[in-house]
Order: sequence, then structure tokens, then C-alpha cells
Amino acid sequence: MTNNATPAVELRAATRTYGTGERAVTALDRVDARFEPGTFTAVMGPSGSGKSTLLHCGAGLDRLTGGEVIIDGVPVGGLSERALTRLRRSRVGFVFQAFNLVPALTAAQNVALPLRLAGRRPQPGAVAGMLAEVGLTGREGHRPSELSGGQQQRVAIARALVSRPAVLFADEPTGSLDAASGAAVLSLLRAAVDRHRQTIVMVTHDPVAAATADRVLFLADGRVVGELPGSVGAERIALHTARLEGATAVAR
Amino acid sequence: MSAAWAMVRHRFASFAGTFVAVFLGVAVVSGSATLYLSSQPQAPARYDQAPVLVTPPNAETGDTRDQQAWTAAEASALAARLGSLPGVMAAVPDPWFYVQRLEAGRATGDDQAALIDGHPWSAATLGAYRLTDGRAPKAKGEVVIGTDVSATATARGGTAPAAAAAGTTASVAAGSGPRGSAVTAGTTVEVLTATGPETWQVTGTVDGPGFYVTDGEAARRASGVRVIGLTVTGDVQKVVDAAAAEVGSSGVVRSGAERDALEPGSITRVRWIGAQLLIALVSLGAFATVFVVSSTCALSAAQRRRELGLLRAVGATPGQVRRMMYAETSLVALLAGLIGAPAGAAAAPLLGDAMVGIGLEPAGFTVTWQPTALIGSVLLGLFVALAGVTAATRRASRIPPLDALREAAADPRAMTPARWVMGPLCAIAGGALLAGMPTFPLEMRSSAGLGAAMFLLCAAALLSPVLIVPLVRTVARPWRGTATGMLVREGTLTGVRRVASTAAPVLATVGLTVLLAGTVATIEVAAGIDETAKYPAADVLVPDGTPGLSAAAVAAQGAEPALTTRLLITHGDTTTGGYATGRGDGLVLDQFTASELGSKAGDVVTVRFADGARAELPVDAVEEEASIPQDLVRRHDPDALTSMIVLKDTAVPTPGARSVPIRDFVMEEIEEEGRLVDLFLLALIGLTAGYTAIAVGNTLLMATTARRVEFQALRLAGAGTGQVLRVVSGEALLAVSVGAALGGLVAVISLAGVRAAVEDEIGRDIDLVIPWGSTAAVTALCAALALTAAAFPVLRAARGRS
Ligand SMILES: Nc1ncnc2c1ncn2[C@@H]1O[C@H](COP(=O)(O)OP(=O)(O)OP(=O)(O)O)[C@@H](O)[C@H]1O
Ligand SMILES: [Mg+2]
Repeated sequence: MTNNATPAVELRAATRTYGTGERAVTALDRVDARFEPGTFTAVMGPSGSGKSTLLHCGAGLDRLTGGEVIIDGVPVGGLSERALTRLRRSRVGFVFQAFNLVPALTAAQNVALPLRLAGRRPQPGAVAGMLAEVGLTGREGHRPSELSGGQQQRVAIARALVSRPAVLFADEPTGSLDAASGAAVLSLLRAAVDRHRQTIVMVTHDPVAAATADRVLFLADGRVVGELPGSVGAERIALHTARLEGATAVAR
Repeated sequence: MSAAWAMVRHRFASFAGTFVAVFLGVAVVSGSATLYLSSQPQAPARYDQAPVLVTPPNAETGDTRDQQAWTAAEASALAARLGSLPGVMAAVPDPWFYVQRLEAGRATGDDQAALIDGHPWSAATLGAYRLTDGRAPKAKGEVVIGTDVSATATARGGTAPAAAAAGTTASVAAGSGPRGSAVTAGTTVEVLTATGPETWQVTGTVDGPGFYVTDGEAARRASGVRVIGLTVTGDVQKVVDAAAAEVGSSGVVRSGAERDALEPGSITRVRWIGAQLLIALVSLGAFATVFVVSSTCALSAAQRRRELGLLRAVGATPGQVRRMMYAETSLVALLAGLIGAPAGAAAAPLLGDAMVGIGLEPAGFTVTWQPTALIGSVLLGLFVALAGVTAATRRASRIPPLDALREAAADPRAMTPARWVMGPLCAIAGGALLAGMPTFPLEMRSSAGLGAAMFLLCAAALLSPVLIVPLVRTVARPWRGTATGMLVREGTLTGVRRVASTAAPVLATVGLTVLLAGTVATIEVAAGIDETAKYPAADVLVPDGTPGLSAAAVAAQGAEPALTTRLLITHGDTTTGGYATGRGDGLVLDQFTASELGSKAGDVVTVRFADGARAELPVDAVEEEASIPQDLVRRHDPDALTSMIVLKDTAVPTPGARSVPIRDFVMEEIEEEGRLVDLFLLALIGLTAGYTAIAVGNTLLMATTARRVEFQALRLAGAGTGQVLRVVSGEALLAVSVGAALGGLVAVISLAGVRAAVEDEIGRDIDLVIPWGSTAAVTALCAALALTAAAFPVLRAARGRS
């Protein structure tokens, strides 16, 4: 892939070790990865392979123990907690598997939260428009407890996209949803990439979900062990995953 | 701010603890402050029509008891000069004297107020009192009586705190109705004065309180003159200036609020005692609020870890999280304060009446509207809540964003660096206060003891997480084999922070109870032995509802009176005041006064008497007690009374006196003092115990509600509601035991410090008394509340399912 634009996120020899001494676990082992603007990347790999760690470090939610993360051209290593938070607020969106929303706030308030935290007043209609885009017109005043799991995920996506971040990270966003809700969430993400050139990095265990991405990155034991274009289809991706899982199972 | 409001609205349950704590704290503070501010010294109503009052110069010793008097001659000369000033209608000296009405041979009314109940008829102008019937007194033995005197004893009994306090004897008279008949012009009235019982002819009644005799009679009976009242026309300030110029250094001209300095000392003293209680209530209230708010805030922040992590993940900086928590707490505290302050102020009159009844405020005390108290208490509530939440916000702002993903069950770190720093610091501060106790002046020692205990309690609460683990392991050892035992033990050990939050209020309650009750008991025991040791087995004649024994009462026993008078003695440049007894035929100084003056036998000193007269007298001797010839006292302090005499034979009954064995009298005195102390104790312990008990309940309610999921899992694992209840109760009891143990420990340490101070003071070993009864009661109360609060959410959840 050739390009001269700054990547949305770049990891260079990214290493993340948890614990010390004998109990040390290397969750990321010198990972190099670039996520170009306007691309949709799926990250796959066996459980414990370091997918979530990759996302957290890439999003600046967690710090590396070695190597470098560069978000939208800014190396995050030297930033203070405050500066990092501000960077995250303006350049990074994040969707967790669940518990994304502040229970005390309505859907609209949740969506407006990053803007408000940044001290900006949301443009009139911006929040409603964002909610409309994720198909939640008329749900602005509902609290998370009054929304279904799929609706909550869509509110979370709306929130992650509202500040037009350089990159959106999603950690198994469809993991706790049924097939139909999951499909709706995926098409939302796809649409964001296609319509607004949004960069998206998504962790998933579902080959069908991965197939909607432009590119699939495979992780095992904290290393990038392969890459496929999303266009190869769910079946080949599933096959690759199965092989990988078999290999790690044997290795252990 | 709007996010904070949304949080508060949504999670009111988790703010309820803070709300209740601040509400109560503010209510207590606003109520007490309202009472305190309402209870300001007030010039007697008798001088209501005299906007300018002139008094002799202020006491040069700084002690109000050393306030000088003018001699009758000085006073009338000065009054004549003042009376001729422009704008002055009349300048009237008010030489007051002791007179008390006798009914059926018993003194009635307040004994201290009676000391200044006799006045010259001319002084009635100062209050614009007018005759309602009859005529003014014209001769010796004639009197015009005030409304309070002409009323029956039944009516008067209710307003006189001392009568109620004197107990049985007064209430007999009060209960018997017609005996205290109304007095009208033309009848006679029985009174008691410094001379003895007298029968006066009532020539009229007046629409104000007091006894009014002829001016000459009043001047003869009074010990000097202490006030000249001016009634004026036109500009008061002009009169003040003119009077000040006229009086010069021989007096002080008072107008406006300065007049209030004329409040009788006995009333001021009552106010002072009341103020001590109010001050203690305010400081304990504030302390308890900080204590409870900080522990509930810490708990609620821990419970909201996930939510706060999410906010951080979404882009809230640590500063924003901190500010949000401050905003939330401010909102809750303001809300609680705005409700609590008026509630406290509304309750103040009720408490005020009670305080008057007990003798902690003067009769006629009314609570007035005090905006300062209201606003101040709301602000204090806000400030105290913010102080309480500080530690929690610091901690919360450091929550990493990834905590949004983690279950909050296991306590990450129960001990924080702040706790490690503040805990030992508090311990050192408390220890230093205790150690330094003997060097403090007496009246500061009890506050120092309380302050030390507060510091030590904070230290224990801060360091409790360290102590909880070993304590729990020890306490839970016998039950480690059972499933419940295991669950309780592990639940407690992984939830150290929760246990610490629950234990903290118990710690404060038990600690303060043991300390307060223990201090009083220890001192009482020490004082009891001390006082009885001095007296021989004899009877004494003591005042019975009167401020002292009259000359007649003493003479009836065939004894010499032992009049007590206050002298102001000057030697060289030093002046000091002191009491002396009328006896012997020369001036004898006590050692203390002598050393203060630097004088010895043979020196000539200037003595100023109660009536303002001066004399140069040689010092005859320096002995244990000061004395001065009896006839000098009689001449210069005609109003002097004898405080008590030791009887040789059985007493001859006489009005205003009774005889009791010495030991009984001492015990009565101690009991009278003990009654007040007990009352203070009850109020203070009641406040802290009630307060912290609420905190215990609230913390457990919060904690158990937040653990619903955990209990659900327990049920899925096959535990019945009964078993869950047992686990929950076990944990609650464990937390209460830990708190009680720590609180007791702290209190015993503080008590030891107090005892050391007392021992140092009286120079003798005393026993440390631990008040087991109240300790057990308070601990049981905490345990009962804890059990109820812990079981409630479990039972409600169980009922919801069935
Ligand atoms: N906070 C932590 N402390 C210690 N070890 C951790 C921590 N977080 C992750 N790990 C370890 O790092 C490794 C990678 O974890 P990670 O969560 O990135 O895996 P994953 O690929 O997201 O797995 P899954 O598909 O199950 O979500 C695992 O071995 C895990 O045990
Ligand atoms: Mg994961």
C-alpha cells in the first residue's frame, strides 16, 4: 500500500508487558502496524492474543512499555495525562463491547459528552443528526436503561463519531448483540468509512463481521502473524482463523 | 455542571449519605448558632428608658467582679453634675441591694436575680415604670412592689430556673396554690434582706419588676453605686459626648450596645455555660459531618469506578473528573444545607426553651431570627462537604480510563499514599495534644482532650485498612470451617475499603462515647474523694433558695457572721482583687494575693471596698485565707452575706437557711455540677451517636445495594436467602466489631492522657474509669442499625423475586 498522507494511527515496535518478573505477560510483542485514513481494518486472533491491548494502546487508553504509538501524527509517549486525554477526545473514538454509556445521561447527552468535555457547544442539530444517522431518531431523551443492547451500541458509535475523530476503535462492538442488531451496527460502520472516509479499527471474532472490513489483521501471542483483504470473504477468513487457533493450541 | 446535576438526580441513592450527613450537620450548626447568636448580653429592661448609662471605671484587673463602685456621696455629686447637662432630663443613681420575698418562711424567686432586686424609687424612671396603684414609698419600711413580686408564688415558680433546680423544697411551695397570696397596696409583704427577715408596708404597685424603697433607704442598704442612668431628650450622641467630658476618668459613659455590659454577672454566667454546650455542639457537628461525608464519598467513588473510568475514556481529563465530583458534592451539600439550615433554625426555639428550663439560658431568653447563622451554616456545610470529598476526588481523578472495562468488585488498593501520610500525621497531632495536656490552662484541657481524640479517631479511621486485615483474620478464625465463615472472611478481606467505610462511623461513635463518658466518670470519682476528705463530721448552715445567709440567720445560731466581701487591693503599682472574710481585727492577706502584690506583714496597702471607699491599711499577717475586720465589712459592704457557717449545736430554724451534714452538702454541690455535666454528656453523645449511627446504616445500605450482582451469583451457586443474609449480617457485625475495637482503643489512649493530666493537677493517683454501660449500649445500637441496613436490600430483593 503506497501513500504519502500521515497514517491515522501508527504503531512502531509496540510492546506492552503486564506484570513483572516470572508473572510477566507480554501482551504485545514489537508490533508494527499502520492504519491509513479512510480504511476499515478488522483485527482477529485467538483469545488472549493481544487484540484488546493493541486497541487500548493504539487509542491512548493504555500506555506502551516499549515502542511508539503515533496518533494522527502526534507521538503519544511523551504526553501528560491531560494532554493525552485531550488528544483522545479530539482524535479518537472508542466503542467497547458493553457498558459504553453513562447511565445517568440520556442518549443525546451521552452523544454530546465528548464535545461538552472539550468545552464546545454542539452545533444545533449535530447531536440529533448523529443519532439519526445511526437510526435512533426520536430516542434522544431515553436513558441507557431504556434502550436495547443494539441501540446502546449505536448510541456509543454516534458518540464516538460525533467529534469526527481521526480514528474509531471498536472492541467487539457486535460481541453481545444478536445477528440482526450486529449486522445493523456493521453496516453503520461501513457507511461511516464509505461516506465520511472515517478510519476504523475493529476487533472481532466473527469472520462475517471481518469480511465487511477492507483489511483483516491476524494476531497471535502478541504478534501480527498475517493479513488478508476483507474482500476474500468470510469463509477464507474463518479458515485462516481456525488454522491460527490450531497452531497456538499446539504450541501450548 | 449540567452533567453533575444529571449524576446527582440519577444516582441520588449514592449521594443520600452525603445529603443526610450535611443536612444534619447544617441543622445542628444553624440551630446552635441561632441560639448562640440570640443569646447576647442585654442591658436589664429596668434601664429601657435610659439610653445613656454611666458606670464607674472598668476594673483595672480585667476581672468583671472587680468592677469598682462609687460611694453614695460620689454618685450623688456626679448625678447632680450630669443632671444639669443640656439634653439630660434626669440623672438617677441606682444603688441596688439584695431583697427576696418570703412566702410561708421560704425564699422565693431566683436567688441570683434577688441580689439586685432592691432599688430606690427614683430609679423606676429609668424603665419608665409607673405606679399602677397606691403611692410612692416615703418612709423606712415602705415599699412599692413590682409585677413579679405581687404575683403569686405559683405563677413565679415556673419562670425561675433556680427554683426548679433547687428541687423538692421549692416545688412544694409552688404546688400548693393559695398560700402565696397576691400582694396589693395597703397590705404587708415578708422579705429577706442582708440583715434578715423584715416586714415591709406595701404602699403601691408598679408595672415593672423589683422592690422600690425610698432613695435614702436604698443608699443605706446598697454597697456603693454601680450605675447612673440618664433619661434624655433630643440627640443621644450629644448627651453622650457631653457626659463623657463631664465624667472624665471617674466613669464610663455607655450608650447603644455598650449598655449591654450592664447585664448582671449571674445571667452572663448562665449564658456562658449555655454557650459552652452550643460551641461543643457546633464543633462536634462539623467534625461528624466531615467524617461521615469523607467516608461515604470514598465509598461512592469506589462504587462508581467504572462510570468514572468511562468518563475518562470518553475524554474527561483528571481535572474534569475532579471538578465534576466537586460540583456534584456542592449541589448535594447546598441542597441539604438549604433544607437543613431552616430546619435547624426552626428547631432552635424548642431547644431554647429546654435550655432555659435546665438553666443553660437566662429566664426570658427568646430565640431571634439570625440570618448570619443560617447563611453561615449553609456555607459551613458546603465547605465541610467539599473538605470531606477532597480525598475521594483526588483518588477518583486518578482512575485510569480502562477501569471502565473492569468489574469494580475487588479493591485495587485500600491504602493510599494520602492515608499513609495523613494517618500518622493525625496520630502525631493527637499524641502531642495529649502529651502537652498538663501544660495547658485548666479550662482548655477538656477541649484539648476532645481535640486529641478527634485527631486520634481520624488517624484510626485513615489507618484502619491496614488494621482490618489482621483484625478480621483473628476475629473470624473460629468460623473459618463453615461456608458462611469463609464467605464472610473473604468478602471482608477483598472489600477492605467497604469495611473501612462501615467501621469508620462506628469507630467515631464508640470512641467519642467512651472518651466523653469516661472522662466525666474519671474526674467525678477523683473529685468525689477529693472534696469529702476535707470536711469534718458536722452540720453546716447553708443558704436555702437564697444567695447567702442573712445576718439574722447567723445570729439565730448564736454564731458570728462570716461575711464575704470582695476587696481591691493596691500595693505599689499592682492592683489585684480577691475575696476576704469578715473576722479578726486587722487585714490578713492570703498567700496568693500577697505574692501577687509583693507585700508582706507590715506593709501598708490601699484597700478599696465594695462601696467604693478607700482606706490605707497595714497588712497584719499573710495566712491561708484573707480576712478583714467584721465591722469594716459591715460598714463598707452592707449588702454582704455569709456563704455558710459550721454549726456547733443543732440549728435554730430561720428563713432562707437550712442545716445539712457537711458531707451531704458537698455531695449536693457535686451532684448539682454533675447534673449539668451529665446533661452536656447526653447532648454530645446523643449528637455523635445519632449522627454516626445514621452513617453506619447509610454506608451499609449503599454497600449492600451495590453488591446485588454478587449476591445473585451466590444464589445461583445454591445459597438460600437465609444463607445470603447470614453472610451479609456476618460482614456487617465484623465491620462493627472492628470499628468498636479501634474506637475503644483510641478512647482508652485518650482517657489515659486525660487521667495523667488530672493526676498531675491534684497530685495523686486516680483510677481510670471505663464506662462499660454506655459503651455497650452504643455498640449495640450500631450493631442493630448495621444489621438492619445490611439485611434490608437483601430481603427486598428476595421479596421482589417471589
Ligand atoms: N490488566 C492486565 N493485567 C495483566 N495481564 C493482562 C491485563 N490485560 C491483559 N492481560 C493479558 O494480556 C494478554 C492479552 O490480553 P488481551 O485482552 O489483549 O487479549 P484479547 O486478544 O483481547 O483476548 P479476548 O479475545 O479474549 O478479548 C492476555 O494474556 C491477558 O491475560
Ligand atoms: Mg479482548
